[in-house]
Amino acid sequence: MAVTVVQNATCTFCGCVCDDIELHAEGDRIVKAKNACSLGEAWFLHHTAERLYPDALIDGQPASLDAAVERAAEILDRADLPLIYGLSNITSEAQREAVFLAELAGGIVDSHTSL
Amino acid sequence: MGGKPACTLGEVKNRADLIIYWGGNPAECHPRHFTKYTLTPKGKFTPNGRKDRTMVLVDIRETPSARAADIFLQIRPGRDFEVLTALRAIIKDQPVDPERVAQTGLTLDQLRDLAGRMKRARFGVMFFGMGLTMTRGKYMNSSAILTLAAELNAFTKFIAMPMRGHGNVTGADTVLRWTTGYPFGVCFNRGYPRYNPGEFSTIDLLVRGDVDAVLVVGADPAATMPQPAIEHLKRVPTIVLDPKVSTTMRIARVGILTAATGISAGGTVYRMDEVPIPLRPALRSPYPTDEEVLRRIRQTLAARTDE
Ligand code: SF4
Repeated sequence: MAVTVVQNATCTFCGCVCDDIELHAEGDRIVKAKNACSLGEAWFLHHTAERLYPDALIDGQPASLDAAVERAAEILDRADLPLIYGLSNITSEAQREAVFLAELAGGIVDSHTSL
Repeated sequence: MGGKPACTLGEVKNRADLIIYWGGNPAECHPRHFTKYTLTPKGKFTPNGRKDRTMVLVDIRETPSARAADIFLQIRPGRDFEVLTALRAIIKDQPVDPERVAQTGLTLDQLRDLAGRMKRARFGVMFFGMGLTMTRGKYMNSSAILTLAAELNAFTKFIAMPMRGHGNVTGADTVLRWTTGYPFGVCFNRGYPRYNPGEFSTIDLLVRGDVDAVLVVGADPAATMPQPAIEHLKRVPTIVLDPKVSTTMRIARVGILTAATGISAGGTVYRMDEVPIPLRPALRSPYPTDEEVLRRIRQTLAARTDE
């Protein structure tokens, strides 16, 4: 299978955020992570882009993304005080979206930092 | 409190000649910190790399990071605040009681030596970890080390930087600060941001049962939080976004699978020095990104509230 090489890829496993990693990808997995430390390498090699799960789950049952988004919006709409929590393993673009959503829902947004 | 004297890791690499790690174990938790940023790289004003720098490790036990240190100071558990406060006094030539210093596990001579090195350094930096911020004293310890760094600037250039952990926790602080003015625990129920740790912190909210719905993204609290908090997560409708079916997703009403950050989802992540770094994902995920899903939920919610 053809190997694609990504230069200067970024590892987000720890706060060093090393941005000098050379990734070799084959199909839906990463086979090599040059320059990464052992933690970073394990992290890159552990992930795949396989479809292991359905798009979404509602009450534990497979569901479509559209239905899950609709249901999520309904839950937030009905709540008096929803909480949006986490934000550790996501991009800052997604973090900004989480803040917008908390504002619209009139809820609370909180991260790992409060623990 | 003295604010937060900060710099980038690039400045550390190019300038720092005194590197102090406090309550952290970079050799095992941030493996490339020494070689990429702090100890071995040759910088503009540190042309000889490691030889131009002194490294001090302050911790309660001798971790593998001690092997990299020139000086290892082993303090008694829970005595960080006292050590930091004594250092602040010594630096200002204030009298310090040797017997009370001895209770920290260090001698006055050791502290005087460290204080002297701090004042003589051209550019000093203290990296502090969870051994400082999550033990007795907690945020008072953070405040003490930041104040010490600020006060050292009367003598030389000195900064203090938290050794942030995995993922994009630094980004969470940064994004919340520039969107709401506060770093975490922000409440919008009055239509404007309010900040009150303890009142709006997740564990307190869950244990007290104050919230009636939870959306979890980029975390797996059901695997890590105290049981009463998890009980509340089970009680209220919970929505989880995650690249895998996580422990929290298993107890959630709605689970949505997303692309993995940095692996198959692009965007920006903040390094521990708050420098934003672009991601270069190597794979294509069959799932949408967290960003896309959050935006869709917001748009759907906005359409509902307009009705
Ligand atoms: S390569 Fe290692 S040191 Fe660098 S970010 Fe990844 S885990 Fe951290």
